[in-house]
Amino acid sequence: MDIAQIERILAIAGGVIVAVVSAIALKNDWKTPGLDNTVFKVMLALLCFGALLAIFAGAGFLGTFPKAA
Amino acid sequence: MAVASAALDAQHHEPVDQLYAETRDMRLIGFLFFLFSDVVLFSSFIFAYLYLRNSGQGWPPQGVPRPDVALAALNSAILFGSGATMHYALENWKHGKFFRYAGFMIATIILGAMFLTGQVVEYTALYTKEHVTWGGSGIFGASFFTLTGMHGFHVLVGVFYLITLLLQSVHGVYSKDKYFGLTAGTLYWHFVDVIWVVLFSIFYLI
Repeated sequence: MDIAQIERILAIAGGVIVAVVSAIALKNDWKTPGLDNTVFKVMLALLCFGALLAIFAGAGFLGTFPKAA
Repeated sequence: MAVASAALDAQHHEPVDQLYAETRDMRLIGFLFFLFSDVVLFSSFIFAYLYLRNSGQGWPPQGVPRPDVALAALNSAILFGSGATMHYALENWKHGKFFRYAGFMIATIILGAMFLTGQVVEYTALYTKEHVTWGGSGIFGASFFTLTGMHGFHVLVGVFYLITLLLQSVHGVYSKDKYFGLTAGTLYWHFVDVIWVVLFSIFYLI
């Protein structure tokens, strides 16, 4: 197993943890009022999206391109 | 830390002073304007990069390799993880759980430092193995190092900002009802995370 594979596995594992944790935090804060909490909700949603991107990139579904000639 | 925890407990029942209550929203809006100005700064560079990218014959330019997606994905997971720990640090502060707050805050600082280390590793590999430099690799090198370097600088500032907030909270600067500095720190850290979602997408995924 080379370093890139280990990085990909860690990225997937970390991404799954972050996606789940941020989704739970978003659910818990969903009904919290206030401008700051509204901004936090947007940020948490984007954080969850970013974690999904990290998972897909780690799994090779995104960011995989043919080698340049 | 025990002193800070006791101070936090003692302050739980103090009423919020009138001036703080009246100016809190103004401070928040002021800080959001500051973050918006940073969004404008990043947006101008990002749109310049996308314009240059789409005006060329191919991307990346011939002879310039694509950056390492595996390392970037791991680094992204680390930075996004720090966003989650920062969120829980603030939540624990709001609920008066000082030691949990301190733990999450320290975890955030460590994860931020790990992200910066990952970025140094990536820069070193690009420079030594692929010979990609800021000035010698055309618009790709210039835009890649400018944008990711600018983001890395924000993370570095954020790490020192969080260390300062942690020290301030240990010394009893904040209470359960007066903690705008911590809210601002959390907003700043989430902002840094969200900017990385965009940079990660445009440099590594598309």
